[in-house]
Amino acid sequence: MSLTAQHWLKQLHALDLKKPIKIMNVCGGHERAITMAGLRGVLPTMIELIPGPGCPVCICPEEAIYAAIQLAIQEKLRVVAFGDMLRVPVNVGKQEIRSLEQAKAHGGKIYPIASPMEAVQIALQHPDETVIFFVAGFETTTAPVATLLAQGVPDNLLILLAARLTYPAVKMLLDTGEAKFNALIAPGHVATVMGSEEWQFVVTEHQMPVAVAGFTTESLLAAIYSVIRQQLENNIFLDNCYPQLVSTHGNPTAKKYLAETMQVVDATWRGIGKIANSGFVLKNSKLDVKSHFFDYSQEARKYAGTMPPGCECAQVVLGKIYPNQCPLYGAACTPRTPIGPCMVSDEGACRIWWSGGVRTGRFNFLR
Amino acid sequence: MCLGIPMQIVEIKDFNARCEAKGVERDVSLFMLQHEPVNVGDFVMVHVGYAIQKMSEADALSTWELFDEMLRAAESVDG
Repeated sequence: MSLTAQHWLKQLHALDLKKPIKIMNVCGGHERAITMAGLRGVLPTMIELIPGPGCPVCICPEEAIYAAIQLAIQEKLRVVAFGDMLRVPVNVGKQEIRSLEQAKAHGGKIYPIASPMEAVQIALQHPDETVIFFVAGFETTTAPVATLLAQGVPDNLLILLAARLTYPAVKMLLDTGEAKFNALIAPGHVATVMGSEEWQFVVTEHQMPVAVAGFTTESLLAAIYSVIRQQLENNIFLDNCYPQLVSTHGNPTAKKYLAETMQVVDATWRGIGKIANSGFVLKNSKLDVKSHFFDYSQEARKYAGTMPPGCECAQVVLGKIYPNQCPLYGAACTPRTPIGPCMVSDEGACRIWWSGGVRTGRFNFLR
Repeated sequence: MCLGIPMQIVEIKDFNARCEAKGVERDVSLFMLQHEPVNVGDFVMVHVGYAIQKMSEADALSTWELFDEMLRAAESVDG
């Protein structure tokens, strides 16, 4: 029987912590669960929980969103995308169309979807049109897309692929010495698909405590307790605190279809730059929108690829600052009028902190 | 987008299933679970319309409780 949240909290408060420990999570779902349960308020003050690269919408290349907008407006194509992507702004002049939502308001045929299967349905409903499926997401989304492609899709459905892998961002932070954390909570559903073994490098290459967590308060507290115990006892290993769903090797069918349909390549992250082996390209180039239409992502533009001016999303995503340390947080940037993607997406740390009631920041005098 | 929802299978036709969670029904693909037997009554973790793994009823229930808690918290402060 697993311990209750109260038990874990008692255990955590009983630990003899002599110095602060910073634990990063890399999943918007984890950050939401931590924030909504108010864990930061009840843990010993020595324990700091840092939201990290857990939001695929936040790091989706600005160029890819720009390309999706242009395909809808200039090429007049039907574009489907996960709902979260529609409000993310690109860096263009005030008179130009800045988001897929604005493109829709200007007559663009843009449809939010919740499942890759809807993209196929829309393509089947419009056999005389080319339908573009704009894919952003981490492994939990990319694997279903790969599965869909392996099953076969209608000829009029093309893919604009901006999918990313989660672990390479953590690897980059650790390899470059930029990491601002001492321990890691690994994402439960990414590990369900890809296997916990993907996170072994944290232990092997960096001797850092790591535990895979689920999304209940109990599983998260178990993982927090595990990484602290690992550090205190100097017994570092990859722990699995979500054995209900996570196995060492993950979902073999999902991994088979990923390998069949996509190749892992170096890829850019918005505001961050290129990260080794962190993205995908389609093995069948006929499915790729770039094989059929002008590649608008390559268009030379001022501020292409960056975060919006003044927005510190990239630093938030990398766990270098907290959401409310951005000068725009809660001032110019709120869920109603978001400037950066971290305030747009339900998985963005800024949006989650705002939902969790964090209203003031270091720069709250700006309000 | 990455939010996983546990659902119970009520009907299976080839690789497609009708699944239910808290009175809401959805079509779910079982294509990613070809490596294991899946039956009506089983609980699965669903991401963007795809079952990514089977799970126990107890685990499904504890996850639903968490969602209820988060929804209540979000409703009281979001805006």
